[in-house]
Amino acid sequence: MLTEKVALLAPGRAASPGPRHPARPRLLRGFARLRRVGTVGLVLYALALGAVLGLASANWATRGRYPFGGVVLNAWTAWPKIGSRDADPYVRAIHARTGEIPLALGEGLLLTALTDDAGRRLDPSCRYRVAGATPPARAWTLSVERRGHAKHTAKDAASPAPQAGSAPPPPRTGFTSTEVLRDRDGRFSVIVSPAVRPGNWLPMPEGDGSIRLVLRLYDTPVAASTGVLEREGVPSITREDCP
Amino acid sequence: MTPLGRFILATLCGLVLAGLVHVATVLAIPYLAAGNAMARARATLANDTSVLVHAAETGGPAEAAEGWLPPQDPAVAVGVCAYDLDDGPVRITAETGPLLETIALHGRNGAYYAITDQAAVRGTVELVIMTRRQFDEALATADEDERNRDVRIIAPSRQGFVSVRVLAALPSQQAQANEAARSVSCTIDGPDE
Repeated sequence: MLTEKVALLAPGRAASPGPRHPARPRLLRGFARLRRVGTVGLVLYALALGAVLGLASANWATRGRYPFGGVVLNAWTAWPKIGSRDADPYVRAIHARTGEIPLALGEGLLLTALTDDAGRRLDPSCRYRVAGATPPARAWTLSVERRGHAKHTAKDAASPAPQAGSAPPPPRTGFTSTEVLRDRDGRFSVIVSPAVRPGNWLPMPEGDGSIRLVLRLYDTPVAASTGVLEREGVPSITREDCP
Repeated sequence: MTPLGRFILATLCGLVLAGLVHVATVLAIPYLAAGNAMARARATLANDTSVLVHAAETGGPAEAAEGWLPPQDPAVAVGVCAYDLDDGPVRITAETGPLLETIALHGRNGAYYAITDQAAVRGTVELVIMTRRQFDEALATADEDERNRDVRIIAPSRQGFVSVRVLAALPSQQAQANEAARSVSCTIDGPDE
């Protein structure tokens, strides 16, 4: 529309100059017109793009799992800085949104695993063996978490306490260093599986969403300096059987 | 410049703007969030003892607790207790038992101090949280002949909260852990002490 108008107006005015000259002012004027209307549109487009992309990416990065700042040890990632005062802004934003009270430096250390030792994502239908030894600590706990599972347990906790013997006890969600069964060398082996297994059986939580193994070391000298952490010191996660 | 060039330029400007918005949003979230642990813990300010916010659930059904924390260690009971140093220094007293217990002090920017039950003297962990000014006053008015055995910690900000974690290593210790997480006392220290 706009260009058409310009084109209609132009021939009448650009009669006197030579045959080559009129073309340029006509084009320039056309662009000047276009620019006036188009600039507003383009500025609005840039603003909208910036706002939508910026807010969406900030929301995505602070949803719940720490984006970076971990120390990778085989399949495990240690998070020594989340509870300290020099935690990065993403960690702070995540804590502000979730209400998390992180483990402070002197309290312990959090390690999480989303994959097995081969780098494959943990699959809820598979059987895994978490075995070996842990870094030095006064106590540790190993638990398995599933996204979207928290609401389910919260609902269970809110319902009236079941009578003794009337309902099965809630499934186990973790092992502590005191209760885990060990072999002669003091090493342990926990089997995470949806089906019952002999030994240290940790049931795969029900629900949908990705699986995460969490190892928490309490009162550990490792927290002060992550240089103590060694690849051999963390438990191995091996996939044993997959349907 | 061609229309295409202008469109690309606008897109680039939009991307740069998106980066700025992203950074600003991430930095602003801690100040705007209403559901962070600090704000939730403020509700316990009037209490003299800590409040159980996550009950250990290693054996049997879990006790009722304020459930605003994201998924936690199932074997650990967590208690919180907010403080405000405007009313004077705050004394934290925890009776430790056989269970592993850790106490951390959190300010606006995260935890600034943590201690475990191994530091207990005769079964009691005792801390006094104060501002720099209160610390200087305490030093100035201290009796030279009397030795003060308090562990004094200078808080970076006037408001904060104390978190207590007690590990129930065995299912039978669940009730004991919850009780320990609930029984840490946080009181305003008297001016004459």
